[in-house]
Amino acid sequence: MSRKRFHGLKRIVPRFRMTWNKYNLYNLSRMTSPNNTGTYFQQKWKAKAATRAYHGEQIREKQWQRMFTSRLNAVVPMDHRYLGEHDGSELAAGRGSGLEKRPEGKPTSHTLTPYMHMTYAPTERRLDVAIFRSLFASSARQARQFVTHGHVTVNGKKMPYPGYLLNPGDMFHVEPESVLFATGQTKDREQVKAGRELKRARRVANTRRAEKRTAKREKALQAIANKKVAEELAAEPTPKAPRPVMTDETEARKQRKADLQELVKQVKAILENKKAPPPAKRKQDLREINREIKGTMSVLNRKPVSEIETSIDALTSRLTNLYPSNPLARVAKIKKSDSKPASEIAGEAQSSTPEYTAEEKKKMREAVVLSRENPVDESKPYATPWAPRPYMSAFAFIPRYLEVNHNICSAVYLRHPVARPGLAEVPTPFSAEQMQLAFNWYLRRR
Amino acid sequence: MPPPLRSASVLSSTPCCANQLCRTTGQSSRPFSTTPRHDQRVTRARRGLFRWLTSQGENFRNPLSGSTNYMGAYDNKSGVLKRVLEAREHKTLERAQKGEKEPEKTGGQSAEENAKTLPPETQRDRVPFPHNKMFISQAVLSEELREEIWSQVMKEGQSVREVSAKLRVEMSRVGAVVRLKEIEKEWKRIGKPLARPYSRAVMSMLPKTPFDPHHIVSHESINDLPVHASTGQQIFHPTSESRRFTRQDAAKVFNKRLLPADDRIPHPELVIQHRERVIDGLNVEERKERAELRAAEAEERREKRAAREAAAEARVQKVEGGRWEFRFTPINTDDAGKDGRGYGGVGWRYGVPLYDRSRGQIKIPKSVA
Repeated sequence: MSRKRFHGLKRIVPRFRMTWNKYNLYNLSRMTSPNNTGTYFQQKWKAKAATRAYHGEQIREKQWQRMFTSRLNAVVPMDHRYLGEHDGSELAAGRGSGLEKRPEGKPTSHTLTPYMHMTYAPTERRLDVAIFRSLFASSARQARQFVTHGHVTVNGKKMPYPGYLLNPGDMFHVEPESVLFATGQTKDREQVKAGRELKRARRVANTRRAEKRTAKREKALQAIANKKVAEELAAEPTPKAPRPVMTDETEARKQRKADLQELVKQVKAILENKKAPPPAKRKQDLREINREIKGTMSVLNRKPVSEIETSIDALTSRLTNLYPSNPLARVAKIKKSDSKPASEIAGEAQSSTPEYTAEEKKKMREAVVLSRENPVDESKPYATPWAPRPYMSAFAFIPRYLEVNHNICSAVYLRHPVARPGLAEVPTPFSAEQMQLAFNWYLRRR
Repeated sequence: MPPPLRSASVLSSTPCCANQLCRTTGQSSRPFSTTPRHDQRVTRARRGLFRWLTSQGENFRNPLSGSTNYMGAYDNKSGVLKRVLEAREHKTLERAQKGEKEPEKTGGQSAEENAKTLPPETQRDRVPFPHNKMFISQAVLSEELREEIWSQVMKEGQSVREVSAKLRVEMSRVGAVVRLKEIEKEWKRIGKPLARPYSRAVMSMLPKTPFDPHHIVSHESINDLPVHASTGQQIFHPTSESRRFTRQDAAKVFNKRLLPADDRIPHPELVIQHRERVIDGLNVEERKERAELRAAEAEERREKRAAREAAAEARVQKVEGGRWEFRFTPINTDDAGKDGRGYGGVGWRYGVPLYDRSRGQIKIPKSVA
């Protein structure tokens, strides 16, 4: 048997889902109040099936049964003036002596608390449902996908579990690009094609630019490293000239040792320079030098001083050969790049603006801001300039237990949904009778 | 033998009006396929869908400017806004009373004209689901109100409680608004683009609580008393007629530890202020004095608690390992009590076996308070 359609039209009682689909809207318009035919069990079954198709359809039945609780949250709005003026004794005073006041008439829908509409309140705590309720996704399934694809953070941390139960005070954030995609109009065929071509062109250009950039960077790094070495060499006094003539041999050996250590330090500094790491070939050379220095160090006390001195000189010269000093190479390049003086640019800008009245200017500025905020960009996955998707307005509401800031696509889960006299905070398309039947289904003894 | 061509796949006979709405009636991605196309098959149900989408459904295609656009606001048969119908009826009635003749109908009124002369929406028009009148789309905070909340808390340095009482917005919402605004400002500062077009579109579809500094519109009830589980039962509690049976006593009857409503609401200070002003008839200075006294007391309590917590924290000796922080607390072996089962004793939380079924255990109370 093939799978049933998600937004089926065929059923006598069509299923209403948590989406902004136009089929769904049509099904909502066709929804009828259930007729009370059949046994009580049948009625409950039907009510359960209809309500579960909307509330947490993506949750497995067993999972929902575990979430279900017969405790339903409600609040009573209190008037602080009443509380201040009365201590409650006036309600009990005169009971039995005819002084009590009977409430007039039947309780109306304004005074009754719709507890049964809170049956599915536990599902509203889920992250995916909360994202759908905040109007960040066009369906609960899409919200779920955003979560699993890592586009959602809770309190600044990535949260990949759509079943995460939000706690009061939790802030969740969906990537604005995803939100714009979910709530924006879809592209038509031509726009998709144009977008694809644009992306391809960009990709090609990017790879070329990247190649060029890497080549340039290599050069620049080389220059920086050279400069550094040259500076270091310049800062250090040349080892030969100021050194006094050694009379004592041990003293001379000590001096050589210090020289060698200094050399090691230099090589190490070049090797470990994070800002301008030497290329692989250069590294090999440097390591070779390092090895030779160590070899010389090991025979420092055995070989004659003159021999060691010559080897040290050779090593120093090799190091300087590797990094010939040309610190001015980069500076010259920088000087070339800034060519246009600022005054010239300002003059151009001024010359291009003809005279307008203040109002026109303001309007134009607004239009410019609007177009800048909402530009045409074929590479986006939604139609640009962005516009809300059709049929969104019929589904656009935000329940009170969420505080949403749409500018940053973030929302705070303030508290668990509650019922209050005349109002229930759980958005549900079903009537109270149907919810009651569903509630009774999930009570353990049915 | 090639499969026979089926006429259904070649001749798609969708009604022309539905062409724009039906996604699949355009060019086919598989022009040579001979499989019957389920998407394109025109059934009665689909005809009904497209008929509805081109008539009543057309109302929902685009948002209504300057108003919400929910299904509950429309008459399902005619597809006209209920308030518009009512206004028309009202007009005709008025005319009939005056004895005027009905003017000639000027065809279909344009949508723009409608939007200009739209009667103001009521709570009834904010029902997204026509079968559930118990759920209405409640107003969200307007941008100006949010900005005001942020500036009062962050710039003027008022407490969340004060701002909440003044602007009639729940305390948790005030906190959330400030948090979100801070992030928004940070984004602006670092130049991260905001989702402005989206925000503007959504806010135009939602009912909003406006902000006017001279006339504060209540956003929501700020003194919501949560219904406690133990108040769900009906209790027959006989008491003498002469007794002054207050809320406090009623709470005690429900549950020994249940506080009265005055202390369980989020803004008990409003009750006290009102009582002082109206019942006790205190003047401004006296009230101010008392408020200061209360604030000082609260501050003292807070400090005491903080000091106690700090002392408890200081008693714990901490040793920093590479991975764990080891915390040593002084213990007293006598805490376990005479029978070694006291809850102050070491290891109590890891499970002390219950010996209540073994011999020689005393099960009747050991003390009478």
